[in-house]
Amino acid sequence: MDELEFRRRAYGDPHSQEPEFLSAMQESPAREQFVAELKSLDRRVEKALKVDVPEGLADKLILRQQLTAHHSQRRRTRYLIAMAASVAFVVGVSFGVLRFGPVDLGEHALAHVYHEPKALLSDSTVELADLNASLASLRGLEHARFEGEPGQVVFKAYCDFRGVRSLHLVLENAGGKVTLFIVPIEERMQLETQFADAKYQGLGFKTKEAFMLLVGEQGSALKEAAKEVRQRFI
Amino acid sequence: MLNKQRRYDSLVRALHTDVFRYAYWLCGDRHVAEDITQEAFLRAWKSLDSLKDDKAAKAWLITILRRENARRFERKQFDYSDVEQESLEDAQHLSSEDETEHYWLRRQIAKLDDEYREPLVLQVIGGFSGDEIAELLGLNRNTVMTRLFRARNQLKEALEHTDLRGQSNG
Repeated sequence: MDELEFRRRAYGDPHSQEPEFLSAMQESPAREQFVAELKSLDRRVEKALKVDVPEGLADKLILRQQLTAHHSQRRRTRYLIAMAASVAFVVGVSFGVLRFGPVDLGEHALAHVYHEPKALLSDSTVELADLNASLASLRGLEHARFEGEPGQVVFKAYCDFRGVRSLHLVLENAGGKVTLFIVPIEERMQLETQFADAKYQGLGFKTKEAFMLLVGEQGSALKEAAKEVRQRFI
Repeated sequence: MLNKQRRYDSLVRALHTDVFRYAYWLCGDRHVAEDITQEAFLRAWKSLDSLKDDKAAKAWLITILRRENARRFERKQFDYSDVEQESLEDAQHLSSEDETEHYWLRRQIAKLDDEYREPLVLQVIGGFSGDEIAELLGLNRNTVMTRLFRARNQLKEALEHTDLRGQSNG
């Protein structure tokens, strides 16, 4: 190895352990001296390069990473909550639309009569006090009551008129059985004063606090019942 | 997750000193060096899964740090701080003769061209071989060795000059 190459290598890395370099170095004491000088320079350079590291840097690095990790975890949680919330919202809205859309009372009353055929077969006797107690438990009808029995009441149950708790009664008079629904007033309900299908006829009217819906097979019985209800319901 | 945390912690403990010093010599400013060290480690955390071999961690971090430093220049073109000013800052709390030499030598190192200083720092502080430095800097090995040669040569000459001056003054 010539002098130039040797010096190039020594300057490039005085600590080199390449056999070629080491044997070239051992060729002369001058070379050994030269490498030793460079090694000493390196030691000084190394010391000089080792600037002080800011106090607590390692802790800061870990802290910052943990905050970031924590943050992104929270972001993920927030995302999940947001997803859950929007799903709940959509469900809520569609449910609300179904539930709070306009309700055709007549149609619903007819459907209800078909839905509960056993009501018309009932022949129990409902006392006036019992009837009034049930009436008072409806929302908005706390002060409503019947002065006297609107004919003979043979069936009484609560029912659901599209989310509105209502009273389902069956009255019996000379003309036959008539179903009466008492539905607390709600804006979205559309009252038809007369409705009918192939089998039943219906009458609807509105008092101060409630919709009254009567459904019966015979027109005469229906009118009779309506009259009774109008007279006795306050 | 816990495993990743432990891995990151040990990475920080083992390498933050070298990484910070390398950052310092890259940008010449303690505060900027701390900032880019922070950024680099944060990025390292985010892509820790891509580090397959922990032995390669130092080179990997250095690569991230260099990228982070380059990004700093994209953000602010003229944010390069005055190295001499920084060295003067350091000089304020120097007392012993040893530290005076550090101060002087630091100025000499700071005066080196970036392209000579960087491989020197990687070799002396990072303990990287010529081949590793070549890979890190995207140069061929000969170029790296030439730059190391020039870096040491300049420092040696500067030292010899001052030593002579010191003698004649004394």
